[in-house]
Amino acid sequence: MKLNDLRLRARALFRPWKAERELDDELAFHIQCETRKLMADGLSARDARRRALARFGPVPLAADQCRDQRGISFFETLARDLGFALRMLRRTPLVALTVVSTIALGLGVVTVAFTFFNMFFFQVDAVRNPDELFTVERLERPGSRSEIPFSRAEYEAIRRDTNVFTDVAAARPSFPTRIDGRAAVGMFVSGNFFDLLGVTAVRGRTLTEADNEAGGRAVVVLSHEGWQQLFAADPAVVGRQLVLNGRPYAVAGVMAEGFRGLRQSPPHYWAPLALLDQFRPAETRSQGWVDVIGRLKPGTSPGAAAGALGAWASAHPDIRKFIAPKRPGEGGPQDGIVHIMLRESRGVISKDRTEAMMVFAPILFAFGLILMIGCANVANLLLARGLSRHREIGVRLSLGATRWRIVRQLLTENLLLALVAAALGFLVSRALLAGSIHMVMSILPPEFTEPTDSAGLTVPPGDWRVWAFLLGGAFVSTVMFGLLPALQTTRLELVRAMRGEVTRDARPSRVRHMLIGSQVTASALLLVCSAVFLRSTYASATAEVGVRTDDTLVVRRITESARPAMIRALEDHPSIAAVAASWPAPMQSGASMDASVGDTTAEIDCKLVSTQYFDLLGINVLRGRLFAPEERSPATGVVVVSDAVAQRFWPNGDPLGQTIRLGRRSGGATEPEEASPVPAQAYTVIGVVRDVRSTLKIFDFGYSGIYLPTTAEQANTSFIVRVHGDPVTTRRTLLDALMKVDPALGEITSMKMMAGLEAAMLEVFFWMAVILGSLALALTVSGLFSVLSYLVEQRRTEIGVRMALGATPRDIVTLVVRQSMRPIAIGVLVGGGLAAVTAVVLLATPLAEMMGTLVRPFDPLAYAVGLSVIVATCTVSAFVPARRAARIDPIATLRAD
Amino acid sequence: MPRQTIPDLLPGTLDLLILRTLQTDPMHGWAISERIQQISHDVLQINQGSLYPALHRLEHQGWIDAEWRVSELGRRAKYYRLTVSGRRQLAVEASEWDRMSAAIDRVMKFA
Repeated sequence: MKLNDLRLRARALFRPWKAERELDDELAFHIQCETRKLMADGLSARDARRRALARFGPVPLAADQCRDQRGISFFETLARDLGFALRMLRRTPLVALTVVSTIALGLGVVTVAFTFFNMFFFQVDAVRNPDELFTVERLERPGSRSEIPFSRAEYEAIRRDTNVFTDVAAARPSFPTRIDGRAAVGMFVSGNFFDLLGVTAVRGRTLTEADNEAGGRAVVVLSHEGWQQLFAADPAVVGRQLVLNGRPYAVAGVMAEGFRGLRQSPPHYWAPLALLDQFRPAETRSQGWVDVIGRLKPGTSPGAAAGALGAWASAHPDIRKFIAPKRPGEGGPQDGIVHIMLRESRGVISKDRTEAMMVFAPILFAFGLILMIGCANVANLLLARGLSRHREIGVRLSLGATRWRIVRQLLTENLLLALVAAALGFLVSRALLAGSIHMVMSILPPEFTEPTDSAGLTVPPGDWRVWAFLLGGAFVSTVMFGLLPALQTTRLELVRAMRGEVTRDARPSRVRHMLIGSQVTASALLLVCSAVFLRSTYASATAEVGVRTDDTLVVRRITESARPAMIRALEDHPSIAAVAASWPAPMQSGASMDASVGDTTAEIDCKLVSTQYFDLLGINVLRGRLFAPEERSPATGVVVVSDAVAQRFWPNGDPLGQTIRLGRRSGGATEPEEASPVPAQAYTVIGVVRDVRSTLKIFDFGYSGIYLPTTAEQANTSFIVRVHGDPVTTRRTLLDALMKVDPALGEITSMKMMAGLEAAMLEVFFWMAVILGSLALALTVSGLFSVLSYLVEQRRTEIGVRMALGATPRDIVTLVVRQSMRPIAIGVLVGGGLAAVTAVVLLATPLAEMMGTLVRPFDPLAYAVGLSVIVATCTVSAFVPARRAARIDPIATLRAD
Repeated sequence: MPRQTIPDLLPGTLDLLILRTLQTDPMHGWAISERIQQISHDVLQINQGSLYPALHRLEHQGWIDAEWRVSELGRRAKYYRLTVSGRRQLAVEASEWDRMSAAIDRVMKFA
């Protein structure tokens, strides 16, 4: 097709009146010229005109032939096909409705997954030139996963003394805070943060350098979400006072919707970094760290900038070069070289992006399976319908339509349906998103879902990418459900089709079996997954926790200056039954020490606990006694050991009264600020308690080691309290009460929540898999049912003949059921195999390793249950049409023909 | 002498004649038919009804270009002009015609 051709066709398409008028003019001009010539030869005007017209021949015919030269354009065909498609759909609204709703459901489900995918990978934050923004990371060693965060002093040095960035800002995601008594999440940022990102406030102002000077001004800037959730979108919010962890703040401004502060989901507020001192003193490194974000100078490559920064940092006296190992093999290099890496910082996943994709891809695939099954259903439906359209298609073929032309017509019909389905699919996906988030929220413990690092789980916005995805999905599904039936339907013998006979060739039983087989495969895959998750959820929910968790709360990260007041507040609080203290908190491991008795030395974990600890967590004494009230510190030289430790050192003897020597682990320096509170000295064993055994996988409460005495008054200890009544409500009241004493207090955790979290998380996965799986199964069963019913209808005569010849109803049932069993059997086997393969592939990715410890991906019972559910439902759905076939009256059918 | 209309000649010759006629100057449809008739001493008379479809076809193929101009009659007329690719096509068709007519010549003389 030539350019000129297109141009002329386009003109004829878009300005038909102009093309027509020109054609008329041209032909009229010819007649006029001819008339003039004949007049010059001496004819009268009338005669000349008549002759001229006669010589020319019929003008409309010539005009029509000229029009034919344009050909029929793509768009004219499309318009014609669409018109025809609309008429066809109006004639069979039920088919149209079935197709649209099935595809809309499939597209909606897969769009749910894509909406999250889009949020994590594509929705770059609304900031100026996001490509220039990078987070500076100091790696423990080149290529290492763990990084050493920067202190605020180090940030200042980077900002002051380096020149690869146009500017550098610091940001620190907050610990959980409370605004006016409600949980809120904030970020503490340097004064230039908003300037660096190039964003402005929609109400009031952003933070400035001045806010961050001289101890900081007590102001916050709200995110759109924070404004809506905490202040009900109050238009006069700027200037309003609020109480942030017991201290007065004022609202300086509100940011635009869609600004997330370079995170995947926005915090509620941003506050000046200088105010972090109120909550997290800068002196301790583990608490004073910040993220360093820079805007790279134009033209600088990230690699070169990282190299320059590394060289600068290695030479700079204020930049820390070394980190002590926590465990052997960890820790930073001691050669004085600082390894710097720049990581893109745009508000989408940038760290381990490939791995995250590898985790996301199977999820997207699982959701896509529903669309696939739906498409297979529709394809089957259209195949069946194709048979009833044989006569129509035969007529069109014999009138000269090419096969391609009819395939195109059929595909246009299908595309029209798919586009309607895509629009509906968007609504379906919105509803499903809202529903699934609601479900997740109600399954996970409220304590866990209350905001901890963002303004909470909300329905991600559906932007143009989601629409583009839906549009692409509509095209892809049109091909998936429409192409096969269209090709199959147009493959027919003309003459017999015209006579209304169904030719042997067009009976697409093989295609049909393939479709059913693939549907069963997909359902099997999903159902096996849900069975695996269900089993794991059950295992986790019934797991042995090891300690008493029903009514215990843990209070952590206590500001030392507020400690005495905190103890008083706890003791006075009416719902507190008992208070114990420990270092570290119950679910953490303590200090690893070399314990030696005589010549035997072993590495043993040591914890400091107050004497109430054992009773509070239900760790009972096996022999001897617990700490006496006056034994309040390790200096008293008494220890309680767990059973396993006693067995190890004194397998036959009595451990009570024996001496055990604790020493620092040889090798590996320890940070001064993280100094072990366990003195290296000799201790006397006064008691033996049971080992804490736990079968939980993530929050493992299991413990076996040496307990040394401490008290709640001791610095760095956490509190463990037993409460009266419901720990969830008590946690809230306690949080409010204690925050008055210690505004910086962040965390009160109920141990029940921690013990149940694992099961809850698995439950979420289970529900996800079970919903997808049952959707898949329902679609498969309905597809199988309708196909078999249709086939029975088709073979009515044949069955009638068989029965007339003496086949029993039983034979007929067997005949019909057996027909569907092969694809089902193949589907079940392939689906089960695929599930296992998927599990192997998934577990190979580092991010999914954790899942591997939680679930048993090759649980034989789960496979058996999942697969037999499919076989059972499919068999039942095959029996109904089979029974109907068996009830066929042979006489009636034979007579009907 | 019986008048000979083009379609009775070899198929495809109409295109060749139109392209050749337009080789020098742009012309409108009537002028093209007049010109062919004149030069062929009234032997070749183009069926008017097939001239315009042919012109439109050639235009779609990009071998000729159309332009509205005021004619000698003082009325707007559609003038056709040979394009660059049309010139190329003319050369191809002309040589093809030469080959063909020479072949027919030889057959007529020596067969």
